[in-house]
Parts: sequence; C-alpha cells; structure tokens
Amino acid sequence: MPELLIRNGRVFDPLNGIAGEKMDIAVRNGRIVEKVSGKARSLNVSGFTVMPGGVDIHSHIAGSKANGARMMRPEDHSKDPERKTKYTRCGVGHTIPSVFTTGYRYARMGYTTVFEPATPPLKTRHTHEELNDIPIIDKGCFTLFGNNWFVMEYVKQGRIEELAAYVAWMLEATKGYAIKIVNPGGIEAWRWGRNVRGLDDTVPNFDVTPRQIVQALCQVNSLLNLPHAVHVHPNALAEPGNYQTTIDTMDCVKHVQATNHPTIHVTHVQFTGRKGWSWADVRSGAPEIADYVNTHDHVSIDPGQLIFTNVTWMTADGPAMFALFKLAKTKWLNVDVESETGAGVVCATYKKSNYVNAIQWGIALELALLVKNPWKIFLTTDHPNGGPFTSYPRVISWLVSKEARKKLLDKINKTARRRLDLPGIDREYTLNEIATITRAATAKSLGLESKGHLGQGADADIAVYNIDPSKVDLSRDYKSVRKAFSRAVFTIKGGRIVVKNGEVVRSVQGRTFWTKPVVSEGAMRAVTSDLESKFDDYYSVRMANYPIHEQYLAASEMITTKAGV
Amino acid sequence: MSKTISENVICTFCASGCDDLEITHNGRDISSARNGCAISVSRFTSTKQSRISRPLLRTKERLRETTYLKAIDRAARILNNARYPVLYGWSQTSSEAISKGIELAELVGGIIDNTTTSCHGPTILGVQDVGEATCTLGEVRHSADLVIYWGCNPIHSHPHHTTRFTIFSKGRFRKTRKDRKLVVVDVRRTDTAKLADRFIQIQPNTDYELLTALRAALKGEEIEQDSVAGVPLETVEELADMMADCEFGALFFGLGLTMSAGKHRNTEAALALVRDLNYVTKFAIIPMRGWFNVRGANEVSTWQTGYPYAVDLTQGYPRFNPGDTSAIDAFTRGEPDAALVVASDPVSHFPKAAARNLLGVPIVSVDPKRTPTTEASEVVIPSAIIGIETAGTIYRIDGVALEARKVIHPPPGIRSDVEILDAIIKRVKALRGRR
Amino acid sequence: MADLVLAPVRQFKIPVTADCISPDFIAGKSLREIELTEIWEGNRRVKLGSLFKVHGEMGSTPKDCLIRITGNVSSVRGIGYRMTAGAIEVDGDAGMYLGERMRGGSVVVTGNAGSWLGTQMRDGRIEIKGNAGDSVGGSVRGGTKGMRGGTITIHGECGTEAGAWMRNGTIRIKGNCDLYAGIHMKNGTIVLEKGSAGRVGAHMTNGRIIVLGNMGGVLPSFQFEEIRQTAKAGDEKIPGPFYVFSGDVNEEGQGRLFARVADNSDLKWNERYLEK
Repeated sequence: MPELLIRNGRVFDPLNGIAGEKMDIAVRNGRIVEKVSGKARSLNVSGFTVMPGGVDIHSHIAGSKANGARMMRPEDHSKDPERKTKYTRCGVGHTIPSVFTTGYRYARMGYTTVFEPATPPLKTRHTHEELNDIPIIDKGCFTLFGNNWFVMEYVKQGRIEELAAYVAWMLEATKGYAIKIVNPGGIEAWRWGRNVRGLDDTVPNFDVTPRQIVQALCQVNSLLNLPHAVHVHPNALAEPGNYQTTIDTMDCVKHVQATNHPTIHVTHVQFTGRKGWSWADVRSGAPEIADYVNTHDHVSIDPGQLIFTNVTWMTADGPAMFALFKLAKTKWLNVDVESETGAGVVCATYKKSNYVNAIQWGIALELALLVKNPWKIFLTTDHPNGGPFTSYPRVISWLVSKEARKKLLDKINKTARRRLDLPGIDREYTLNEIATITRAATAKSLGLESKGHLGQGADADIAVYNIDPSKVDLSRDYKSVRKAFSRAVFTIKGGRIVVKNGEVVRSVQGRTFWTKPVVSEGAMRAVTSDLESKFDDYYSVRMANYPIHEQYLAASEMITTKAGV
Repeated sequence: MSKTISENVICTFCASGCDDLEITHNGRDISSARNGCAISVSRFTSTKQSRISRPLLRTKERLRETTYLKAIDRAARILNNARYPVLYGWSQTSSEAISKGIELAELVGGIIDNTTTSCHGPTILGVQDVGEATCTLGEVRHSADLVIYWGCNPIHSHPHHTTRFTIFSKGRFRKTRKDRKLVVVDVRRTDTAKLADRFIQIQPNTDYELLTALRAALKGEEIEQDSVAGVPLETVEELADMMADCEFGALFFGLGLTMSAGKHRNTEAALALVRDLNYVTKFAIIPMRGWFNVRGANEVSTWQTGYPYAVDLTQGYPRFNPGDTSAIDAFTRGEPDAALVVASDPVSHFPKAAARNLLGVPIVSVDPKRTPTTEASEVVIPSAIIGIETAGTIYRIDGVALEARKVIHPPPGIRSDVEILDAIIKRVKALRGRR
Repeated sequence: MADLVLAPVRQFKIPVTADCISPDFIAGKSLREIELTEIWEGNRRVKLGSLFKVHGEMGSTPKDCLIRITGNVSSVRGIGYRMTAGAIEVDGDAGMYLGERMRGGSVVVTGNAGSWLGTQMRDGRIEIKGNAGDSVGGSVRGGTKGMRGGTITIHGECGTEAGAWMRNGTIRIKGNCDLYAGIHMKNGTIVLEKGSAGRVGAHMTNGRIIVLGNMGGVLPSFQFEEIRQTAKAGDEKIPGPFYVFSGDVNEEGQGRLFARVADNSDLKWNERYLEK
C-alpha cells in the first residue's frame, strides 16, 4: 500500500480539538501516522475540508427485515437502478438499496463506518452474510435483547450476573457489537397480538416490566464493560403522545453507573418525542426531551430526522408497525422470531401538507438544535424510517442554515408550523459541530478508538469535502454545502482512495466489528449449562447450530472487554 | 477405517432445516443416518448413486470425459459468447454459490433465475402486493392453537413438519395434540387431510373464491352465494369463525395454491386473509418451500440485486418482471441462446415448450448427479453435495439461515459449486482481457 | 405528417429493447442519427441501423412524427415509451411494454401485442387489431398505480389482469378476456365485449366494468344491486339489460360490475335479491 499525504486541507478533528486548521494528514499502512517518506503519493486538497470518515451509528442496512422489505418493494427499486461500472457492481437504490449500492452510496458521501442497529439473534447469520457483501464500509450490528425469553427470565429472577454471562454468550454467538432493546416486553406481548403500554406494564406470561428489562440490561452493560451504551428504542412508539415514556426510560437508569460512556442511548427520538392525546393534536415534546438530555450526562440521543419523501418503515417493533399500518393502509410485513423478538415493515410517504408528518419533521430538528452539546446528539434519519441515508447532506444543510429551514418551513402544514418552536430557533451548526455529530461523537459513543478522528494510530478513514471553511458562509451557501457532503472530493478507506469526485474508483472489503466480553470460566460454564437444559425447548434449532463462527465474517474485528463476572 | 458419528447435522433436502441428524461415517462413506425422515436417510446414504465422476464435454454428439480445466474453459466460452444466457437452478446449492452465480450473471450479462419461478414465484408476487404476516417455525410450535394446511401435503413433502412445528410438536404454550386444531383444505383427501380435525374439500381451481369468501365472512359481510368453491356457505362461515376465534393461527400453503388457476392472485388472497385476521387475532402465513435453499436463492438474489428471482442483468442493471425476465417464459419464447444450470433439472421440470427450447441451446451443467439435464448438456462439471460433502449456508422455509457442514469428503476430483463457479468467472474475465 | 419507416431486417429472436422508437426521441433528428442510436439486443449494444432499415423523414416536433414499423417486432420492447404526441403504426406484432407511460399521441398495431402494454399510461390512444398479453394498462411490479387516462382498444383476445390498478381512462376488449380484468381498479371504465374467464373486478375500490358476454361468474365479495336497462361507458349508453353488482366488499369498494343478463344465465340466481 503506498503512503499518502493529504496536504493543505482544512482539518476538522473534534476528538483531537482541531477545528479548521490547515494541516497535512499522513497515512501509512492504512493508519494515520506522524509523517511519511518523500515517496508518498500527495493529494493537494487546498481549499477543501478534511474530516475523519463518517461514522453512522444507526442505519437499517442489512438482515432479514431489510431484505424482507427489499423483496416486498420492487417498485421502490425500479425507479432507482444503478448500472455496473468498471469499479462497481450493479444494484438498485432508493429507500432500501441493495448491498453493493449501499456501500457505494455511503462511500460517496464520505462515510466509512455504518452500524446495523437491530438484528434478531436467530437470524443474525443472515445479517452477517449481508454485511459481508456491503463494500467499502466497516460495520457491525447490535443484537436484540429486550424481548428475549432467557433475558426476561433472568430479570424476573433477579439473576443479573447470570444475565450478564448470557449476554456475553449471545454477543459472541451472534458476533454482535452492542445491546439493543426495542419496545422492551412489547414484542413478546405482540406474540398474542398485544403490546405494552409503558414502562410499568407487565409482560404477559413473563411477569416482568419493561422498566426492569431496561434497568437490568443497563447493569449488565456496565458489568460487561461493553464499548457502547445500551441502545434503546422505547415503548409506545405508535401512541400519538409518547415523549414522557422516552424521558421516563432515560430516567429509569440514571442510577446505573457506566464506565466511560453514557448508560443509555435513546434512538430516533423523533418517533417517540410527541406530546398530545390524539393524532389531530400532537405537538412537539422536543423541548422537554432536550432539556432532560441537557441536564443529564448518562444519556445520548439521535433524532431520526424525517424527510418528506416516500420511505420504508422497518423496525423490530412489530406491534407499532401494525398500529401504523392500520393508518397507512399500504403493505405490511411482519416477522415474529421465536423466543426472541420480531420485525415489521410498512411503506409510507411523508408529506409536507400532513400535520403529523410536519410536526415530526419539526421535532427532529428541534431536538438537534435544542440539545446544546453536540457530543450527545448524532445525525441519523433512522434509515430508511425517517428517510434514506442519502438525505444526510440535506439534513446538514438544515442544521447549518436557518434560511434553509425557513424555506421548508414556509411550505409545511401551517398549523404545524404555528405549533412548533422551530421557526423561532436561530441556532446554526458550525462545521466543527457537524463533524462531531457525524463522526467524532458517534465513534466515541461506539467506543471505536480508531475511528472518528485523525490522530496518530487512527484508521486512515478520511473524507475530503468541497467546502472552503475560510470562505464559505454555511448559512447562506447551504446549497453548496449540501452538494459538497453528497459527493466527497475524496473518500479514503484504510489508506486507499475509494472515491474521487463523488464516484467510486475502488472497492475494498470492510471489517465487521463485534464485541467479546471476557467473562470468567465459571460464569460461562454455568450459563452454557443453563442454555443446554432449555435450548431445545425454546428454539427450533439446536444449540450446536446456533452460534456464528468467526470465520463466517469476511473480515472479523473482535473487540474484547474485561467483564466483571 | 474408524467410524465417526457427526451430530446435529443439518439435512439438505426439503426446506424444513431439520438439524438433529446423526450421521455415522468413516470420512468417505456414510453408513447410517438417524433422526431424519425417510427421504433424508435416503439422501445421506445414497450419495454415491448416479454420481458424475469426471467433467464431461460433448464432442461429436457424445459426452466424453475431459479435464476440469477444459470443461471450465468451454463453459466460460459458451457463457461469454452468449447474447442472452440464462443461469438457472440455485435452489439446491449454498448461498455462497448463489452469490458467485449472480456475479457471473452480471459479468456475462444474463438472466439469473431460480426454481421459485416454477413453484413459489406466485407467493413472492403476492407479497409484493400485500406484504406478509409471518413468523419463524418455532413460534408456530410454541403458540399455534389452529394450524391450517392449504393445498399442500406435508406428510409426504416435509415429513417432519408436523412433529417439529405443528400438531405433533410440543411448544411452550401448546403442549399436546389436544391443544391444537388442524384444518386441511385441499381438492382431495390427502394423507395429511386424514389427520385433520376438519377437512374441507374444494373444487379444483377455486381456492381464490374460497379465500375471497373467507375474507368477506370475516368482515361480517353477507355472502350471497349458497356455496363457494363447492363448500356450503355454512361451512365457509364456520371456518371463518374458527380462524377468528383462535389465539394464534398458522396457515401453511403449497403448490395447490400457487400453481392452480390464479397463481399469485391466490397467494395474494391468502396473504390478504391472514393480514385481515391480524385485526382480530394473531395469525401467520408460511409458504411450504420445497428445496432446501430456494429461500436462500431468493434472499441472496434480493440483497445483491434487489429482486428475488427472474433477475435480468443483461443491460448492466437489475430488472425484474416475471413473465418477461423469468427463465421459463424466456425459454418458452425461444429467446435465450445458452444456459448454465446449477443443481437443477429443468429439462425434466420445465413445461414442454420451454424444455424443448432449452434443449436447443448449449447447456453447461453443474451437478453432483446425472439427470436428463446433464445428459443433454454440452459441458458437465460434477460438484460436491451441499451439507454432506461441502459446507454452505442454507435458508430454512422461514428465513432462518443455517450453516450446513461438510460431513464426508467428496469423491476424488469433485469440487464445490463455489470453486467451480469461481473458476468460470476467472476464465471469463481472462477471455475478456481483464484480471 | 412526416413518415419514418423502420423495417426490421430479420425476425428477432433475442429480445431487443428500443425505447427510443418514440416520436419524442426521433423528432428533429436526422436519419443518420437514428441509425446510429444504440439499442440493446440481448446483452449487446447495437446500432438501430443494424436491426432496422431506416428511411423517410422526421417531423421537427413529436406531434409531426409518424413512425411506421413494417414487419414483425414481437421481440422489440419499449416501443412508444413515454411518448407525448405523434403516431406509431406497427404493421405486424409488437413486443412487450408498448406505450408504457404514454402521455399522448397514438399507437396502432395490426397484429398482436405483448404483455404490459400501456403500463402507467396517462393519455393517448392505443389500438391493437390482434390479441394482447397480460396486464394491459396496468402498473409496475409491486406498484399501485395503473393507467390514469387515455384509451386502449384490443380487437382480439386479452390476457389476465387487464386494467390492473387502473385509475382512469377506458379499456375496451372485443375478444375474450382472461381472468382478473379490473383487478385492484380504482376508477375508470373497462368494457369486455365478449366476456371473461372470471374473477372480474377483484379488489376493486371504484370504477365500472361492463361485460357484454359471459362474465365467468361473480366473486363472493360482490353484492347484487339491481337490474339496469343500460350501462354508461363515457358518453356511450350501452343497451342491456344488465345485472349490476357492487364491490369489492373486501376493500370497502364502490365499484360496479354490469353483466348483460342475456349472456349470464349462470347469474340468474341473483334475481331472488330483487326487491319485489
């Protein structure tokens, strides 16, 4: 691999406190180094912005629900095909791109790491097959735990250490990166066509509450020293007013100590940030939620920005999907997964003229603008639920420019506009803050020490954008900012140039990150024996055939942690 | 030679994914197979029958033994020179091989289609119009108190289905046979029907009418006909009530629905009925996929091209339109000029006109065993049997992916599908002057 | 009108995709440019001039263009794609996707036409003197939007799912029509002059289907309304009398089926629902 020297760019590296300095970045053997030899290939990026490659913490790109959605929506694909080129495989795009197209489109935007945020353990082999095939980007997936029979039984019995050993076993068995909870207890209730209403409802047949599940798994997260917070999609997503549940969910674990990161990350808060009693009447709960996030350090959130376009909803939250399907009346896919979780997929279109859609669009932006610390809030659209990930540049333009927001505000449902605080919010993100919420903060939240920054030893994942910070007025020039973030001048992955002027010029294999908490032999023996006694009763596959072997991953990157059990 | 017992072996025949087989072998030959159904036992103990032992090339009208490299070269030339090749089969091989197949189809500019096109294609088309309310098979075992088999005969097609997943299985919430009811809907009294608590015989090709009536009955609409599909209205209404009153229902359906008049509109109606049922209770629908990895063929094809079968890659991007881009339709019209067939026997299974046209083009076959398709081919490359002689990922009926392992060595000189397809890809690239 | 004549040089076996055969594409171009236009023959790009002998003239706007195809082009797909004006005449059989997304002008075929003709048509006129395939005036796979304007007339027989997801416009089929005419219809008018194999109007939510032949039974999700003496198809009043059904109740539909009494003795049992 040749050495690389990226010269004269304006560097934004928030993790290392660099905000627009003119600096050279040196690369050797796929990592950032202090200096390189005279033989290094030189890229003169004078007049351009240099950032670490984008790190997306939450995007539904792989696995059985994504593929079920793809299979169900040929009409989504036929309008956005991608022809094969010398360097790229063909594919289809729009809301649920095929795997090759997914990797290329992320790379074109300067993104180099993406996490699939919800994988059902029994079907995670499928998730990894897809992740293996996504080119260029590094990736990982979060394993679902919040409706798992073993989990609920351990929680009921108060056996937290055994639960921790179980989670460790499962993360290794599924090659997952973090603990994911979706509608805790509610998807188990959905087995019988029901749901839970809130944190203190009882899960049928298991006699635990969602509050207990969330608290226990947050304790486990600490015990196992996992790199990321517990990633949570709260209950009550399909209720018109649900923001209080979101706050209560964050609040219920404020006493749980985490090591070097927040205890809980609540995701796509726009979907659970509504206030009100009926759809006709919903308002934004963003001010209250932002206030909570601003005054508590054990939480982080991402908004799940809504885009006014056709989308595909996909989530493990089966009952919420059915509730929303009954309103949307389009197509509905539901897949319950034995003993573990579920999934739902529905097609939808967000319209500016629709009151609720406009409020939701507003909620997401309010969250991003009212949360003061950019290290606590990350850029997402909960792809493809809020909008396709290719919309990120558009979202950036709204964050950096009040004028860009106003243009759209003038077109949305008038009552919604009146009821939102958004029109009165003046804040405009700086480029440094954008760099934070799209790469530095997300990498830090994920505990990926070699990502999201350009310090020595970091992976040489670098994005160069056509923005001259010394000349640009982000607020006025938001259109060119949007264009710049849509087509990176260069994307460098692991030291190799993969994108030039927004076109893919090379495809590389990305690595799959997963976490192996190292628990004591005794604890592992005990949990294995417990599983062996129950596995055949709980599952329709044998325990021997359940775990995914490391060789299965095309390029495995194991992160070990020292567990306290 | 010493005997080994391999445990928890995954059967690769039908798509039930039974994974508790015990295979006794000496590394080369299998002496016995336990825990599987009769079909699976036969599959594991007859691996040496009808094998193709060497690559074959047709010269002067006859298939003659040749070297692996010559066979790969000829295969690559046939596909590379074709203007409209079809790459077909895929349902009896691994995901990894299917992935290679798609790569090859994209490279040479062809149609890649799998056996879905002749069995559950209609199911997928129905899902594309309605969606699908479904679950994994263990869920049925745990919870279903009403099981319906419609247009399928699992006693014969999926012999362990009832013991692993339905009426003879034990789940967390349904522990005995008494805890469940079985309804069978079919045009004749099959062996599965004999087990039913309620058997509903319908006139052939009228499934659509019955499904439509059930939806109407469920909604409380008045049906004006005295009988539907040969079933008295009273019985229709009773069946609708049974479905609405259960706690968790599971509807399994097969070719009786997908291949009778109406095809994907039949499955659409069944999918719509189950969707409607979810407004009043909990219900799931699961298609009885036949081959052990036809689901895998759909999955891999979908994640790589966006479409589950009948994918046309001839113009450099994926197009999907069964009736146009499906192998059977293309061959019926006599359009393709070459074929690659992997682990399938379309010469036997295609409708007559399509089979006749298939026989008129050069065929490259990759298969472990001799079939009428291999006998009619230009090039035959013998392959290892998935899940017995070579490992590979397969997808069960319900989309659960399993890692089928290698149990014994393949016969000498026999390679895996993945290796063979990879070699063809490399040879095609070399012929095109690319590295 | 300026005539451009395209004569296929042979019977095409391998599918040809030529959506440039459309007045909007050729308008204002020279013969040479047309001949050099690249189209797909299977997996190869070839020049249109290698598959068709091209002669004649082009109009300067689509409205002034008439394309005459003299010969069998049953393997040629995409003729008339998105045309907004002008005319196409095919003296032979035409291939799939004829007049897809058409917005105006006319397409006339003396022979048969393949499936998916007039998919998502917005306006204009298509006339097939022979038979047509499946999904006339329908939608794309997985889509919910069929034709929304214009008229399609099939003189011969028609395949399944004519007018699938139709939103407006008129389809007239003079020969026998296969199953599922008007499936998922949202609005518009379909006239079947010779009857159908059955399952007419499945899942329809609105629109009307008038059948002047045996309808092939009626689905259980339709309810008998009355007997009417005439049925309106646009401005035309077609004499009956007709059994009138409403449905599809499974979709809360308000569509109407008109089955001519004289041809549908198998529906006579509905008369018991007539109010005395």
